[in-house]
Amino acid sequence: MTMMSASIHANTLEKPQRDWVLVALWATLALVALIWVAPFVFIVFTSLKSNAAVMSSSAFAPPVDPKFANYSGAWDRGRFNTTFFNSVIITAIKVPLGLFISAMAAYALAKIEFAGRKMLLLAILFGTMIPFQVMLAPLFTLVNGLHLIDTYPGVILPYLAFGIPYQVFILQSFFRGIPKELSEAARIDGASHFVIFRRIFLPVSLPVLAALLILDFVSTWNEFAMALVLLQDRDMWTLPLGLSAFQGQFSRDYGQLNAAIVMTVLPAAIVYLIFQRYFVSGLTSGAVKG
Amino acid sequence: MTSRYIFSDQRTQAAMLIAPAIVIYAVFAIYPMIDVVTLSFQRWNGLDATKEFVGFSNYVDIFTKDPVFWGAFRNTVIWTILSTIFPPLVGLLLALGVNQPIFGRNGLRAIFYLPVIIAPIAVATMWRWMYDPFFGLFGQVLTSMGLQSWIQDWLGNRNIALYSAFVAYLWQTVGFSMVLFLAGLQGVSKTLIEAARIDGAGRWKVFRHVTFPALKPTITIVLVLAIISSLKAFDIIYGLTGGGPAQSTQMLALWAFTQSMQIFDFGRGSAISVVLLLITLSVVIPYLRWTRKSEENEE
Repeated sequence: MTMMSASIHANTLEKPQRDWVLVALWATLALVALIWVAPFVFIVFTSLKSNAAVMSSSAFAPPVDPKFANYSGAWDRGRFNTTFFNSVIITAIKVPLGLFISAMAAYALAKIEFAGRKMLLLAILFGTMIPFQVMLAPLFTLVNGLHLIDTYPGVILPYLAFGIPYQVFILQSFFRGIPKELSEAARIDGASHFVIFRRIFLPVSLPVLAALLILDFVSTWNEFAMALVLLQDRDMWTLPLGLSAFQGQFSRDYGQLNAAIVMTVLPAAIVYLIFQRYFVSGLTSGAVKG
Repeated sequence: MTSRYIFSDQRTQAAMLIAPAIVIYAVFAIYPMIDVVTLSFQRWNGLDATKEFVGFSNYVDIFTKDPVFWGAFRNTVIWTILSTIFPPLVGLLLALGVNQPIFGRNGLRAIFYLPVIIAPIAVATMWRWMYDPFFGLFGQVLTSMGLQSWIQDWLGNRNIALYSAFVAYLWQTVGFSMVLFLAGLQGVSKTLIEAARIDGAGRWKVFRHVTFPALKPTITIVLVLAIISSLKAFDIIYGLTGGGPAQSTQMLALWAFTQSMQIFDFGRGSAISVVLLLITLSVVIPYLRWTRKSEENEE
């Protein structure tokens, strides 16, 4: 961020009054942005229209007589009570727990010398790239064998497993950058690695943890494929499963379908708009510098 | 004695810190990956207590008898090629654009990135509705421009359904490439750009000779991630078309799922998964080698 503002200064100092290339560029980007938001506008408008209004009015005509009942209707028919609750429980347990487990492992991998460390790191880096979509059937077999189908642990454990590699990888490269002096002194005073991890490393890595927390919140909240296989009982469904089923059943009820979309998408969108800065830092700290 | 004691103590501590992560990772990620290979050599319906070893016959079946496999394979290849070209390209252009000192660039960036955080299944639901030939967005926009004859059954026409689905995917993933490129652009030396400008280089020349070479590592990463995530495309196809019409948008990941979880042929499903896994590894392993090499060069 600071580098960016520096570049603005450098550029504006040297720029003449009006740069037509930049004006044209701005116009193009604004047009693309307009196309990019159009689907959202369309969805929100439709979510407030009755079926008759959908069929008679233009796609971008604002709803004349906003029909908020679509939202309550979709909430009931889409069983949002159940799916929202399940999504909240699963996300609230998985995200902090996963981050904590990953941070512990990352600390050990970054700061304690032991045999096989490099191999473990490589195995973890490998895990960041393996698509779980490939393993849906064996995952089902495994979780079924443990009698955990249609339970919270049955879906949280695989979520943890597929979240760990990326988080461990990012955190260990961050921990590695923390100066030795910070922990050496504590070690000489006889502090164990557990204490150093909790008292020194966790506090200094709060910004990175925040970034990962938010990224992980969104991906857990949005996860569909594993939930589809592991949660078959509709009382255990999460929001994405509920939305998919809603579309299957009520796809001709345009207003309510779009209201269901808005309600599914809104929590993640709000989190994104509030914590925007962290998204970028969380993504790029791993992918580009790692 | 003491030093040895401390050493073993350190190891115990390391093991205790690592164990939870490694155990969960090994059981719920590595084991299924091994199991999928085992299953691919067996015949099993997902229910019976016994699994029968059948050698390579599942592979022979999918390669020679499965009427859908090669179509899914072809679609996966097309999809991967499209996703390796377009999202990174558009992402790069947008990143170069919003990296300029222009009005409202933070807002623009936020808009381009917004679709990335939306659940793919929700994107699929949104676009399925937008593609509705009667009341959907595209139909209406074309009608208002007087181009009714251009209106298609976007997802119902087997010749264009795959590309319609890809447009939705493009809309969703461009922001991701853009953000990675933006981060890469921060690493491009400002002094070098200034120097080139002073030497009289125009915008294109600066890009060609300064920015682009400096972006090369970022480009590699973006391309690798684009390939890997395109192979994973599951939710969006499942939600948009379910593989239809007439399997014209079927993909390997979805077909493996369908074979195992809906047709209950775990052997064939796993064999398809293994094929997909091998394709993924053929991208991942060279990439990991490359990262290790560039790390060693840095050290």
